[in-house]
Amino acid sequence: MPPSQDMLWYKDAVIYQVHVRTFCDSNADGIGDFRGLAQKLDYLQELGITAIWLMPFFPSPLRDDGYDIADYRSIHPSYGTLEDFQNFLKLAHQRNIRVLIEMVLNHTSDQHPWFHESRSSRDNPKRDWYVWSESDAKYRETRIIFLDTELSNWAWDPVSKQYYWHRFFSHQPDLNYDNPAVREEMWNIMKFWLEMGVDGFRLDAVPYLVEREGTNCENLPETHAIVKDLRARMDREFPGCMLLAEANQWPTDLRHYFGNGDEFHMAFHFPLMPRMFMGLKLEDRKPITEILQQTPSIPDACQWCLFLRNHDELTLEMVTDMERDYMYDEYARDKGMRLNMGIRRRLAPLLDNDRRRIELMNGMLMSMPGTPIIYYGDEIGMGDNVHLGDRNGVRTPMQWDGGWNGGFSTADPENLYAPPILNPVYGLQVVNVQSQKRFDHSLLSWMKRIIQVRKSMPVFGRGSMEFLYPANHRVLAYVRKLGNETILAVNNLASSAQAVELDLKSYKGNILIEMFGRNIFPRVGDLPYLLTLGPYQFYWFRLRKI
Amino acid sequence: MTRRSLLPEESILSDDFLRELMNVGEVDILIGVPTYNDANTVGTVVQAVRAGLLQYFPRQRAVVINADGGSKDATRDLVRAASISDLHHPSGMTALRTLHCISTQYSGGVESGKALHTILAAADLLRARSCAVVAPDSIHIEPVWMKGLLDPLHNSHVDLVTPLYRRHKFDGLLVRNLIYPLVRALYGKRVREPNPTEFAFSSRLAVQFLNQHPWTQDAGRDGTEISLILTALEQDWPIAQVFLGEKSRTEHAPTDLVRAMRQTVGTIFWSLEQNFSAWSSRSGSSPLPTSGPEADVDLEPIRVNRKRLWEMFARGVAELEPVLKSILSPATLAELQRAAAKEEEFHFSDELWVQTAYEFAASFHQEVISRDHIVQALVPLYRGKAYTFLTENRDASGEQLEAGIEALCQTFEQKKPTLLELWEGTK
Repeated sequence: MPPSQDMLWYKDAVIYQVHVRTFCDSNADGIGDFRGLAQKLDYLQELGITAIWLMPFFPSPLRDDGYDIADYRSIHPSYGTLEDFQNFLKLAHQRNIRVLIEMVLNHTSDQHPWFHESRSSRDNPKRDWYVWSESDAKYRETRIIFLDTELSNWAWDPVSKQYYWHRFFSHQPDLNYDNPAVREEMWNIMKFWLEMGVDGFRLDAVPYLVEREGTNCENLPETHAIVKDLRARMDREFPGCMLLAEANQWPTDLRHYFGNGDEFHMAFHFPLMPRMFMGLKLEDRKPITEILQQTPSIPDACQWCLFLRNHDELTLEMVTDMERDYMYDEYARDKGMRLNMGIRRRLAPLLDNDRRRIELMNGMLMSMPGTPIIYYGDEIGMGDNVHLGDRNGVRTPMQWDGGWNGGFSTADPENLYAPPILNPVYGLQVVNVQSQKRFDHSLLSWMKRIIQVRKSMPVFGRGSMEFLYPANHRVLAYVRKLGNETILAVNNLASSAQAVELDLKSYKGNILIEMFGRNIFPRVGDLPYLLTLGPYQFYWFRLRKI
Repeated sequence: MTRRSLLPEESILSDDFLRELMNVGEVDILIGVPTYNDANTVGTVVQAVRAGLLQYFPRQRAVVINADGGSKDATRDLVRAASISDLHHPSGMTALRTLHCISTQYSGGVESGKALHTILAAADLLRARSCAVVAPDSIHIEPVWMKGLLDPLHNSHVDLVTPLYRRHKFDGLLVRNLIYPLVRALYGKRVREPNPTEFAFSSRLAVQFLNQHPWTQDAGRDGTEISLILTALEQDWPIAQVFLGEKSRTEHAPTDLVRAMRQTVGTIFWSLEQNFSAWSSRSGSSPLPTSGPEADVDLEPIRVNRKRLWEMFARGVAELEPVLKSILSPATLAELQRAAAKEEEFHFSDELWVQTAYEFAASFHQEVISRDHIVQALVPLYRGKAYTFLTENRDASGEQLEAGIEALCQTFEQKKPTLLELWEGTK
């Protein structure tokens, strides 16, 4: 564990999401590995992040980028060994960086030995580790998630001549959580990694653990009971470790995953993210304020996890049809950019590589209530390649410099797990860490600065939030408060300069101090506080009564 | 009519309204609603406008602007209540965007010119790409009217959209008997509603009109809407017509005919002064691109007091004889006087009516007496024509009614050379 023993560390965290495969290749085989990742920890420390979330690194046939696990207690040979992982973990902790790993509870790969046993015969002891049925008519009210590839949640197994249940790809059979042996074994796996020193888990596909006839098989009470049990065991044996829920649900449904502070510590706020993009394109704060108004309060020890982009498509499941059409038209006119119910693009291309919009979106990410996650490469404005299929276009090699394979690997380019981005706008020669480190005003330098400012005041991670609702709907303004600390964030969502009058009566007498330049702005008086903002500009003010 | 331009320090827009416009920012669509004590109907109207915007233009940045003449009732609150924001979202509505519905009160009493001036100024400041104006008492308005009015601006490269309505056959008599035929003959385009209460226009036309129109206090009071249409006609802006649906017969106070005549015919006569070259060179007329039926007539029988029309006509011809003598040729006046002698034999022919109208226009040009008096003097004579129209069409079908109007229009067009001769003093 890192030296800081604050049990609520995750509330102040700035998380960096990375896939081992994509970050740095130490052995010239074209695939990133733990040794490479360990070599880059200084870079991450300099960036200012406080936690790393690693995508699945377990042995897997990699038909779903590692989310199809074939062995939960080992490391995929391409990424190194268990010792390499342990060394990486130690080095990260030495830099006060915590490590979160992925735990795919819901399903395994069909190549997992458990499934081999389970399908081998109907009377195998592991038969009941998965969900089998004579008919594919059960659980009819359950939606299909991967609409582009799957026709049913049931797949026929020609070996044992029954159907098996899968909420995701058919090569990912769902585990049967009604079986106590499964629950026990999954806890043992978690324990294995916790004992090694990991600081928490991102639990994948949580809402789907249990199936019940007559329901949509999502968010069932039995699923919550399983999470509660895991949490209780973890708190008892590994206090200070954290559970993060991946549940692409509406806030009111998500709220249940916090329980009474006895389920997840954190959960992704999925519906907020597309609405931030929508608000920006509409130049209207309404989508953002509305979803946050609908977001229920959560227990004190819990926290939302906020993100702009991640390894998946920009999901549009949690928007209305009208909003989805709008998002497609505005952000994915090229049909190739669309996947399942979302958009497979990175942050910079989504924002037309507009530095002002990238900064504004990161400014909102860092100042809204929650813990921000930065997806690897977005701190330098990496591009994507929608022609790589599935979501691989946003999982290309990290661009470290303008040289051989962008500094990612010394292997022959043909041997890389995926081609690096080479186009003249986002290519490795233009967008890379080394070149951006040289300039104080590069995106990377700016990202370091904003992370530093965010970390300077706990109010960002722990404070309350109050919207100001100025009459100018293009301006999103909110006050964050924690004890005596108060900050004001004002964001211009428009491509044009805006004037806004803020009702700051409650803060009369306070001086506004702009947090990046530390310049003093006029004292708040009786009149509405007039501010002008340039296109896509944002301010963070600290309010001080002196 | 006296004219006084706005002084440099004067503005049609109050500081409070400017502040509201600042909050609205640039828009794609602006809907103007001029009002005065319209609390009974304006709520229905703005809700239909809002529903139309949400249904047909959900992605566009829109604003509803109410220019109010000093209402003492809840008119302005009802307009504001239609707003959609993150603080106020009517249940059951899906809206991508904020919709500002703002209201401003112009000073100096109720004047449609000031209302339109306010709306156009706001459109200019907000850089609205398309604008529509709707009447606050159009109780039959449907959300689809927004689509009808705005779509041609967006899709068909037209700059002005005028309405067509289903009207009662005895509704809109002044338009049918004088304004439409006269404007058609003068400018060569068949605009059925040259003085509309619902219409839409492009930003280009709005800015052009805003900068070109004198906006003098008195001239601005009368006929600003028709001035906009006439400007588009004079300058050959692309125009389309759209059938909207039923136009309710007004349920409020009876129209002040003198004022209506000033606003319409007076404004047309003024336009002739300003744009001789634009109208004098045109002959015949052409139809406009039209969506929906060109005209639809409600034939439900209603009672009309024709007797009173006749009396006012006959009394006007008699009492205004000195005035009419200075306006009309002796032959035309004599014919009118003959006609006014006996009700039972009275028939105001199209020929005589067109001759009368053109002689009035020429006298207006020559300013033989006060121009305002000239326009007022036309009122009783129009009542005579209206009497004939009602009599002739008492049992007419829709087709027959249309045929009659078309014949009148043809007469206006055929006799246009007469107007030119009178205008130039060669006759």
